[in-house]
Amino acid sequence: MNKRSARRDFLKVAAVGVTAATAAQIIKPAAASEDRAKGRRQWAMVIDQSKCIGCGYCTLACQAHNDIDPDIQWNRVTPVDKLAGKDVFLPRPCMQCSKAPCVEVCPVNASYYRPDGIVMMDYDRCIGCRYCEVACPYQARSFNWDAFNGPNPAVPKWGQPEVARRPRGVVEKCAFCYQRIDRGIASGLQPGADVDATPACVVACPTGARIFGDLNDPASAVSQLLKDNVTYRLREELGTQPRVYYIAADAQKMEG
Amino acid sequence: MTRKLRIRVPALRITPWMIWVGLLGLALVAALAGGVLVFWKGLWITNLTDLVPWGLWITIDISAIALSAGAFSLCAIVYLVGLKRYQPIARTATFVGLIGYTMAMLSLLLDIGRPDRFWHALIYWNSHSLLWEVTMCVMLYLTVLLLEAMPILAGFPFLRKRLPKVADRMGRVHHYAPYLAIVGLALSMLHQSSLGAVYGVLSARPIWYKPEMAVLFMFSALLGGISLTLFASMLAARVTPKARINNLLTERVAYAVAWGLVGYLYFRFWDVFAQHYTYAPGRTEGLELLTAGPLSFNFWILELLLGTLIPMIMLLTPYTRRNPFWRMIALGLVVVGVVAFRWDTNLSGLLVVMSYLPGQAAIAYTSYAPSPVELVTALGIVAYGLLAFSIGVRYLRVVDHRYAVDEQEAARVESTETVPV
Repeated sequence: MNKRSARRDFLKVAAVGVTAATAAQIIKPAAASEDRAKGRRQWAMVIDQSKCIGCGYCTLACQAHNDIDPDIQWNRVTPVDKLAGKDVFLPRPCMQCSKAPCVEVCPVNASYYRPDGIVMMDYDRCIGCRYCEVACPYQARSFNWDAFNGPNPAVPKWGQPEVARRPRGVVEKCAFCYQRIDRGIASGLQPGADVDATPACVVACPTGARIFGDLNDPASAVSQLLKDNVTYRLREELGTQPRVYYIAADAQKMEG
Repeated sequence: MTRKLRIRVPALRITPWMIWVGLLGLALVAALAGGVLVFWKGLWITNLTDLVPWGLWITIDISAIALSAGAFSLCAIVYLVGLKRYQPIARTATFVGLIGYTMAMLSLLLDIGRPDRFWHALIYWNSHSLLWEVTMCVMLYLTVLLLEAMPILAGFPFLRKRLPKVADRMGRVHHYAPYLAIVGLALSMLHQSSLGAVYGVLSARPIWYKPEMAVLFMFSALLGGISLTLFASMLAARVTPKARINNLLTERVAYAVAWGLVGYLYFRFWDVFAQHYTYAPGRTEGLELLTAGPLSFNFWILELLLGTLIPMIMLLTPYTRRNPFWRMIALGLVVVGVVAFRWDTNLSGLLVVMSYLPGQAAIAYTSYAPSPVELVTALGIVAYGLLAFSIGVRYLRVVDHRYAVDEQEAARVESTETVPV
């Protein structure tokens, strides 16, 4: 009898313990990088749709600098509308969400936040289940259906590869050219202001439609633009809090 | 030499069993070739795209897991609720479950881009990911199922003859059946629901983004799993004397399935009906795919009419329920309905391509049809399941409703023993 109740008690305690531990683990808020105090710098991009002429240079520069398979685009430019007889384009890099569904759903933590807000991919860890691709509201992710072995047609005209090619069978995405940011900062440059420390798409844009910088720096170009303009973000109602802001096209400011 | 020949000749007489195994073997060989092709060439030879990254293989994966739900539910009924007379059905369900989960593993192995890294989920935990939770639960539950199936597997004539001690030890695992049933119940309730929640938590896909996904997956898995176990048992009993079923037992469980279908239909009706009102971008389009679009045949005919409504009526009507043939057909239809539900759920979310812009309702549709290599490998996975079940029926007596009578007696004696206080 005693033995029996002791076992029962033990099971109860064990059950409560396991439940509490699990609950604590699950209830603990996700490590959202929303907390801006966490990193000193918080990178963001502003895209001015009045200035975008849909030339696609950003896509090509991205393909070269990140050594991307020609079948994949991390940075798509699509015509979305017409305004005063001119096409309006929507360039879409990864939105670098503050509450990124892809980070939440990855079963192996291959997607993660950097302290500066960039949503990163660990290509050595990804198992290729593609749950992140299904979860991403912006189709910012691409799967390597095939290996990319041949020459990159965008190299050398649009730049030199700066990161390793991803293997077949993993999901890949834009990471705000983190390699340029990191190397730039290491050599004393300022991302957003100095070309060598700024994402390739921003540098390649001939009309200056893309502006990159630090949200935590009130003097940065992005902070200024966000202060002076009405901006919107894509599918904002989902609560993903993207770090890519758009200034809607204005017929009077449209470029040729 | 001549002696050997004399032994071989009668064995070469073609029996229906050999034809059956031969056909399944052909399907397996074709699937093996397809699988090698997938591993060698990569996933670009499939019809999966970045817009529809989950297709036939994932449907097989989630269907096979759902249809294995008979194992945990019947084991719980037998060992936890104490309805011992259903033990032989639970035994079959355990074996079916083991097959189902290995089928799911096989299809996942094909589907993920880096099958060599499947173990990453075990060491790089993301406890916020439902897919991680499902992976862990499925792996743990597969272990439980293996243990639960030990006494069945111990019945292999080869094992009993050559390694009687091992077989004996495997048989004694049965002693732990109630504990395994508890663990199995907890793990299965978790991951059967979470599989629905894998879809249900994605705000990017409005037709999936609803709390009832977990409930619907769980509910339909219970019905489908029990139905498949009964259907397979009854079919086996029709084609081979090796399978023996107890008509009354199957009828009682089928009656429970009937009322389960009533409940399920109620949930599913309100799930669809409530979504039908008020326009929500993406969700309404997804629903249209089901009610009027390319998935409408699946939705109306396979899932709702043949898969739920008709078997419900058939199993509630005394005549069709008591008639073994019609009962079997009804149970088979439930299985069809569950698979159709999984297929529809997966595609109704993926085929709708949302617009990114605020206030712009322009929504595009994409399409998906499995490629030959996907079909061949999928057929092979199903063939593996059929072959494993056939071997179980033939050599392990997995469908034998007289089997556990002696064990049942033993349990009864044990339970009536006086306990010293």
